[in-house]
Amino acid sequence: MKHLDFDILVIGGGHAGVEAALVASHTGKRVGLISLDKTKLALMSCNPSVGGLGKSHIVKEIDALGGVMARATDATGIQFRKLNLSRGPAVWATRVQADRTAYNQYICQIINNDPNIEVIEAAADAILVENGQAVGVELDSGESVMAKAVIVCTGTFLGGLIHIGEKKIKAGRKGEKAAYKLTNSFRSLGFEVGRLKTGTPPRLDGTTIDYDLCEIQPGIEPKPYFSYDTKAIEIEQVPCFLTYTTKETKKIIQANLKKSPMFSGQIKSTGPRYCPSIEDKIYRFSDRDRHQIFLEPEGKNNSEVYPNGFSTSLPEDIQLKAIKTITGLENVKITQPGYAIEYDYCPAYQIKNSLETKLIANLYFAGQINGTSGYEEAAGQGLLAGLNASLKIDQEPPLILDRAESYIGVMIDDLVTRSTTEPYRMFTSRAEYRLCLREDNARDRLFDYANRYNLIPKEKYSQFTILQKETDLEMAKLSKIVISVAKLGKLADIFEKKENVSLADLLTVPGVEYDDIEPFIGSNGSYLSDADAIKERVSIFIKYKGYIKKQEREVSKFRNMESQFIPEDMPYNELNGLRNEAQEKFTRFKPISLGQASRIEGVTTGDIAALSVHVRKYSNKQKNRPEVE
Amino acid sequence: MMYYGSIVNETDTIIDEVTMVQMPVGNSYTGLDQAEIFCHGGQYVLKQILQQIYKFDIRPAEPGEFTRRAFLAGRIDLTKAEAVADLIASKTEYSYRSARDNLLGELSQHINTLRDRAILLLAEIEAAIDYPEENLDISEKKNQLESIEFLISSIKELIDSYKSGKIIKEGFKIVIAGRPNAGKSSLFNLLLNQNRAIVTPTPGTTRDYLTEWIELDGHAVSLTDTAGLRKSVSAIEKSGQFYAEVEMKRADLIIWMADISKKSWKSSLLYDLEKLSKFGDVLIVLNKTDLANKTAFKNISSAIKELGIYGLILSCKTRSGIGKLKKDLINSINKNMPDLTDRLVVTSERHKKKLTNSLKYLKNAQKGIQSEISPELIAFELRQAVNKIDEITGRIYTEDILDNIFSHFCIGK
Repeated sequence: MKHLDFDILVIGGGHAGVEAALVASHTGKRVGLISLDKTKLALMSCNPSVGGLGKSHIVKEIDALGGVMARATDATGIQFRKLNLSRGPAVWATRVQADRTAYNQYICQIINNDPNIEVIEAAADAILVENGQAVGVELDSGESVMAKAVIVCTGTFLGGLIHIGEKKIKAGRKGEKAAYKLTNSFRSLGFEVGRLKTGTPPRLDGTTIDYDLCEIQPGIEPKPYFSYDTKAIEIEQVPCFLTYTTKETKKIIQANLKKSPMFSGQIKSTGPRYCPSIEDKIYRFSDRDRHQIFLEPEGKNNSEVYPNGFSTSLPEDIQLKAIKTITGLENVKITQPGYAIEYDYCPAYQIKNSLETKLIANLYFAGQINGTSGYEEAAGQGLLAGLNASLKIDQEPPLILDRAESYIGVMIDDLVTRSTTEPYRMFTSRAEYRLCLREDNARDRLFDYANRYNLIPKEKYSQFTILQKETDLEMAKLSKIVISVAKLGKLADIFEKKENVSLADLLTVPGVEYDDIEPFIGSNGSYLSDADAIKERVSIFIKYKGYIKKQEREVSKFRNMESQFIPEDMPYNELNGLRNEAQEKFTRFKPISLGQASRIEGVTTGDIAALSVHVRKYSNKQKNRPEVE
Repeated sequence: MMYYGSIVNETDTIIDEVTMVQMPVGNSYTGLDQAEIFCHGGQYVLKQILQQIYKFDIRPAEPGEFTRRAFLAGRIDLTKAEAVADLIASKTEYSYRSARDNLLGELSQHINTLRDRAILLLAEIEAAIDYPEENLDISEKKNQLESIEFLISSIKELIDSYKSGKIIKEGFKIVIAGRPNAGKSSLFNLLLNQNRAIVTPTPGTTRDYLTEWIELDGHAVSLTDTAGLRKSVSAIEKSGQFYAEVEMKRADLIIWMADISKKSWKSSLLYDLEKLSKFGDVLIVLNKTDLANKTAFKNISSAIKELGIYGLILSCKTRSGIGKLKKDLINSINKNMPDLTDRLVVTSERHKKKLTNSLKYLKNAQKGIQSEISPELIAFELRQAVNKIDEITGRIYTEDILDNIFSHFCIGK
């Protein structure tokens, strides 16, 4: 029996699936969202927080592209912080503790109220393919649902297997079912499938924690919101706490290392190095006597606590014994044990920059199936996959973001040019044009796209263009106002030089802030935009100007390499002068440009030099080829 | 595989008995299919064999083609390819040895060590940026400064070695300059006649006849006569002088000739000395002592003292003083020659440029660390510095930085 037809089917209702479904709906598509449990949409499987270095940048980009993650986090945030405030604006990062239940409910409500989205509670068993194109999904009920495009966002639910000590449980998340047939469908379609591992700490009963022994970590005011639309949120804020493991903890874990499936050999797949289990940390850094543990509240009306830093897959009794040696947790009760989880993924050389698979047209992958980890990374891919599937249906070219305009672009480019061997997480150090990719300018970078694809209301876009214009006006004004040294007062000491100076130049001096020069500006003019927004933008732009200019020069070199496209049908095996390894790599990754080819691991300058010669020859040959009747 | 057989012509007449080695794809120098034929000596046989081979639509390699192919096939990196080019063009024992060292990858090795050091420092700074909440054992400002100072001095040393490197590769450049009729061409010809001239075999390096190569004490020396330059360029005096100045700027040593038979030679020289101060090493030669009488000769010695210069007294005509001149020249060359036994020498202008760029960024980073600017800006400078180094040998991978972060710090909540 055939189910209702959809434009787009999304498999999985996690952070990637939700963004994919919503953006597809915004662009007028009818969406079927297949989820094992329709009440668990966008549930935070691991820590109850969004953002942090690199990740927060993605959330801002999602917001600029009309996604939901930023708004949902703001609306359900119970602690707001901004990291790295003592450093420059490029590495400021918002981090928000969200109320897990509230976040899940907020998303469920949006999805359920969206007339274009229908949630199908089922497991996906197989991708239906005709003529090399995805045309639908076979459900575990035996039904076939048909659609023009399919987006796969299976997360840890694809072949999920939980490990707690020697215990193995088939599940996608503790206590939940998973999808086991779908992997075979991918294999039979010809996809290479691999296995990755991640882990999560036990959850604690907050009423059994002695917070007096821990350091309090409150949020900051004014709250730094993720979404540019969020004005004010009136939710009671809850602090986090910091505590440490002890020598006792170390002793217990060292004595029981062999009981951890990571050490016993029970788990062979790779976990992320940046998110090691506590047993791994103690094993690898045995000279350290203590490790930080952050106690994060799971919600306002939820007494559960997430001990960040204590991810483990040791047996339950050892987990309890070890965690009780942590300062403040002497009498703690575990509400849910920590565990490691293995799941299937498809190494991302198999997708294009549009996130469509190379093998099957109209089939898109987003999130952990591409080897990433993290809610934000998943959501960013989900949004792009949803948009590109929608554009494909409309016979429009996909939106491909490059490394110089967004973290999402950096991430996807990294994924498609490297073989993932561990779950991929964003860091700001991955972005070579970091100074240009800031939280504050996500809209400057992406709003044109959002507007072009109607992902945001028109008036929001026009309001923003006014803000941009007024920022420019204000900057021009600051360059024109010249102050004599005599009038500088206190600032003269910081300025040091003995000459007249424009306010713009004065602002570039380290230690001089916008507030210091404000008295010299005079009348504020009559700007339509928010004065604080202009102030923040102007001060960041001016303070970073010198570096941004230098970086922009690098960007133009980069774009030059990116714009030298390689024909899709380049016959790498026939090219002279290419090393075998390079031939294999290029055939496997099918780079779209010389720039991208140069980023493929193991490729040398020589390979690129040779390839560029062939690209030129090949393109000329194609151009001069006589028209075939 | 090695084969033994005969090479025959169309009429099956044996030209020569030869052995041939066939190298499989991937193992040859160029990475391509390659065969080497060993024949008996003699130009005639060689020519005959080649003629037969060319009949099979085979052509001789263009200059540097093997190396280019090896580079394109990824068999050698850029520094090695450049070293091969140097090796082919090497004119003296010195330049051969330096090129060979480069080929062995000693320079790349050294540069890579420096790169690793820079990446390590970068990794620390990046770790502190991406993990603001972890208690990382980031080294103190003092240690970071030590690292960067080490990098700066190492790269400076390499850049400085270019002066000798250039001499090794291009020869020691002596430019003879001076006022009209001071005897420049006479000295030029004298030095040419007295020393073995080197014929430059490399096509494409045609030098105009005003520069000739001689060998002095085992070193290749290029000798330029600016008098000739003036004549050759055009009748326009000004442009001639311009070319002379360009040559003088490029010189490792300028021989400035003064004609002491002129009455006003002292004041002229005084005037010229001031102009010469903007150039590098200058050897003042006081020519035409044969025309000066005895009293005048005494005056010269006191004039030299008065001017505070080292003046070499010479007569091109009688050749008196020429032995001393040669000794001075050799001293000057040796002073600029590196001890190749324990030093790496940068011989490529391209490498020097990249190193100079890298140094610029390292200095910015050093300033940044000193004045404690925001770490992402220090990281920016360091990354640029590493990128420039990478342009010499390879390229940057952010994974390298991350690998370092993960292997050195206990990270991750």
